[in-house]
Amino acid sequence: MIYEKNQRYIIPFDDVPSPRAEMPEISVDERRGNFVEVETGFPEDIAVQEAKRCLSCRRCLGCALCWAECESEAIDFSIPDEELDLEFDDVVVTKGQDNSFFPIDPKLGFGSYADVITDIQFERMLSPTGPTDGMVVSPLDGEIPKRMAIVQGHPNEDDDQLLSSLVLGVNESIIALDRTKDLEVILVSPINEVFKEQFLSNAEKISGLRIVKGDPESVEKDQEDAPLSLKYSENGRQQDDTFDLIVILTKPKISSEIKSLSRKLEKPVQ
Amino acid sequence: MCTGRVDPALVAKAFKKGIDGLLVVGCYFGDCHYITGNHQAKAKMDMTRKLFKFIGLNEERLAFRQCSSGEASVFVEIVSEFDQKIRSIGPLGGDGDRVKAPEIFKKLEAAEAVLAGEKIRWIIGKRTPFLETGNVYGEIFTEHEFNRAIEMIIVEEMEVQEILARLKETARSVKDLANDLAIPPSRVFRYITALKRKGMVALDKVTGQTPIFQLTGQEV
Amino acid sequence: MQDKKVLIVGGGLDGVSAALEKAEAGAQVTIVEKFPTLGAERIPRDRLIQPDDAFVNPDLDKMRNHDNIQVLTYSEIKKVNRDNGKVSAHILKRSLRVDNIKCNDCKACIKVCPVNMFDDFDEGFSFRTAVDYFNPATGEYNIFKEDMPVCQQACPVNLDIRTYVAQIADGKHLDSLATIRDRLPLPGSIGRVCPHPCETACNRQYLDEPISICFLKRYVADVEINGGIEPVYETPEKKLPEKIAIIGAGPAGLTCAYHLARQGYENITIYEALPVPGGYLWVGIPEYRLPKKLLQREVDLIANMGIDIQYNKRIGKEISYEDLKKNNDAIFIGAGCHLGLKLRVPGEDEYEGKGIVDCVTFLRDQALGNPIDTKGKLIVIGGGNAAIDSARVGWRMGFDEVYILYRRTKKEMPANTWEIDAAEHEGVIIQYLAAPVEILGKDGRVSGMKCIKMELGEPDASGRRRPVPIEGSEYVIDAETIVPALSQAANLEFLGEDHGLDINRWNTFDIDEETGATNVQGVFAGGDVVTGPDIAIRAVAAGKKAAEGIHEYLRSK
Repeated sequence: MIYEKNQRYIIPFDDVPSPRAEMPEISVDERRGNFVEVETGFPEDIAVQEAKRCLSCRRCLGCALCWAECESEAIDFSIPDEELDLEFDDVVVTKGQDNSFFPIDPKLGFGSYADVITDIQFERMLSPTGPTDGMVVSPLDGEIPKRMAIVQGHPNEDDDQLLSSLVLGVNESIIALDRTKDLEVILVSPINEVFKEQFLSNAEKISGLRIVKGDPESVEKDQEDAPLSLKYSENGRQQDDTFDLIVILTKPKISSEIKSLSRKLEKPVQ
Repeated sequence: MCTGRVDPALVAKAFKKGIDGLLVVGCYFGDCHYITGNHQAKAKMDMTRKLFKFIGLNEERLAFRQCSSGEASVFVEIVSEFDQKIRSIGPLGGDGDRVKAPEIFKKLEAAEAVLAGEKIRWIIGKRTPFLETGNVYGEIFTEHEFNRAIEMIIVEEMEVQEILARLKETARSVKDLANDLAIPPSRVFRYITALKRKGMVALDKVTGQTPIFQLTGQEV
Repeated sequence: MQDKKVLIVGGGLDGVSAALEKAEAGAQVTIVEKFPTLGAERIPRDRLIQPDDAFVNPDLDKMRNHDNIQVLTYSEIKKVNRDNGKVSAHILKRSLRVDNIKCNDCKACIKVCPVNMFDDFDEGFSFRTAVDYFNPATGEYNIFKEDMPVCQQACPVNLDIRTYVAQIADGKHLDSLATIRDRLPLPGSIGRVCPHPCETACNRQYLDEPISICFLKRYVADVEINGGIEPVYETPEKKLPEKIAIIGAGPAGLTCAYHLARQGYENITIYEALPVPGGYLWVGIPEYRLPKKLLQREVDLIANMGIDIQYNKRIGKEISYEDLKKNNDAIFIGAGCHLGLKLRVPGEDEYEGKGIVDCVTFLRDQALGNPIDTKGKLIVIGGGNAAIDSARVGWRMGFDEVYILYRRTKKEMPANTWEIDAAEHEGVIIQYLAAPVEILGKDGRVSGMKCIKMELGEPDASGRRRPVPIEGSEYVIDAETIVPALSQAANLEFLGEDHGLDINRWNTFDIDEETGATNVQGVFAGGDVVTGPDIAIRAVAAGKKAAEGIHEYLRSK
């Protein structure tokens, strides 16, 4: 099963997996000295079989069952799109609700393990209006973690990015620790000067949180339901520890649409 | 009675009561007194067979055949052939089925709920308009696309109905449900949050590290 | 500040705060957000928090009820213009399809909706249904309906792939072909040569492998031919009188003519410089990938709509551009990119035509049956599809050995991977990380090439690692023919002097993206002559767009 952004969610049909049809070709010996077409085309049975693999992706089926069910008659398919031409004296460009982020090193296990999530996902989970009403659970099995790690996904970033991700990581720890009994949290990241001066002493006072100045290296597990094993360096020493949930600090990415808008309007993204 | 009125939920109910096979015999296409009754019957039985296959019941146990009321010998042939087939498959939940008794009866119970539910009934009823005049946006479906839509609903509704059926017995955790139903726990977790969103499931209590969920009594 | 109008882009926490701040200061504020509702609470990233005061909530109620704020959710800014400090914006506000004033949040709709999909708002931790609220804090419902599936969106002509593929699954092959032809008049040709961006987008790849969409298109085109069916492309009974000239019978020009004929135009003339149609499809794509007979048939079907294709009519030679402009109501320029670029190494100019021939000329000569000397070895330089095509053509023509020289590695090669594999499979020798240094000659003819080995250094502006020569690693390959296949450019000399068209620094036209219109009234352009060398299906898309643009222009005249 695959979950991906952009409204994509695909269910496993019973003909999955099935291989894609291969195009038949004439042999290399038959090609020298002539210009006969190399690819010979699908026979009918192969073509039909290949076409049947199509998932026929469609979101709203347009079945109008919601409309039939709605007693207050609020659903109205005839409400039209509107096109507006407006004039302004000034513009403010912000990131909007697009929470995309720069790719994360695949060694950290994001995308491979359901219990490795991003700081943005964790923020949503901690939110009182979130999917679990703010309860900290592992999306792998719905269990409450005993030990979790928050790790830096972009250790070599500039000061501003490192600082804001560190503050977010500490803040997420504060909320998670407050919500969860007997939770242990470690935060693994390089620490920069600004963070050291402004936040480190307060962060180190938080009970249940241990801040590790180091680099995360890899996240692995032996089998699907085993705990996650995190390798990281602490003061140059190799460490290896297991966790029930790992949160990766990401680097936010501004969408190309917003970027081009900002360029056209000569307004930086706030 | 017109075969078009054979309710798939009744078909599931009959199997739940322990029958080994069910044969629906309707008129030839083109001969229907109600014009599309036999087409509807075929679509409904095709869909029910798909669901049976998905839950692990040998879908050959359900068949749709056609003959006219004047064709006694054809009728006899159809019935004898089906009788032979069911004998060769053997009793329900035995060697002829992927899922064995007694689990298959639990599956059939959830299948009945799926087939009796509004989603499947509504969509299967939309088959003719979808293929001929289009959906609410005027988009016309191909048969393949319609079948994909039905399959999608069958897979997801079946899993949801099974979760609801287990929760009806007693409050359970994500892990328990995943173990009971052989559905990956990460998928169960998302179904539970989705059901919570719809107001149908709520947190009951937390035992140790394990949140336990229960029904709210607000099912459809 | 009074009555100042401010546009806020983005309805997240930042956008909402900015909107409230500006509105409180007296400005008229419009806030535009792509998602169906405004943003949720966020955790601060600039200070440490207290557990009981963890989230910052956007004050949505205040904003919704503020007299100075207009909220546009589920909206997109389609066009912006900055002029004299004023900003004008064209905004598309999509319908929510739910009247949220009537809605009482009973959730009946989301309980029955049969569609589960990725819940963006909850970052994938849940499912949302097609009708759903987005942000639980606002409880505003909407029906999410995408314009088209991902494959169709990825296709430059937005072919209705979902329908035509499923029609094949249903066994309705000719219906499928009709679906394709609604937008693309060259299904058999494109179905053979397209690098299929649709398959790159296909959702099935996340389960196993993408659908073989492109070859299915070819399949239905073959069904018609194998069945001996000769269709007639219909044109409406009501004819339109305006005269339209099309320069170039390539994919852009043919498609433009096809769609104009379908509108009823009956005075369409295509001027083609070559004796054959299809443009690069004929003289650039080799026969073993796209048989000429098949291309000719697809062109004939278009021509039979009453379109006059005049061959061997080079604008600027047989007919002047001024005359064309004078005698027609609209012109479409789809002249393509048929100028091969030079290597710029010593010896190149000296031996030009004496063993050095650019890939465009090489492929064209082969396609038109012009004599080519196939003695000895052939070296092709470059990593694009034209390089691979030249090499595979050379191999077929009987050169003793065929080399491709490419200065980066296979991974960076812009050619389609399946084409590279096929060339290697056939015995073409590809030397990666190698570049030409000098063309060597003997007795007035090419005799070989001095090459140098390269290594990959730092990434350049395009993100690809820049190849750097390894000092002292020069070596020589003997060869009688050398084909540079670097890139192609447009040749716009045919326009003459006083055409008045804006030509940019890439020697191509700047056009209006929506209509294909150039800066000169009544003159439209599209295809490679606008984009530079690009894939055929994008030229088809440009031809279709221009046909719509021309129709609109002529009808409003």
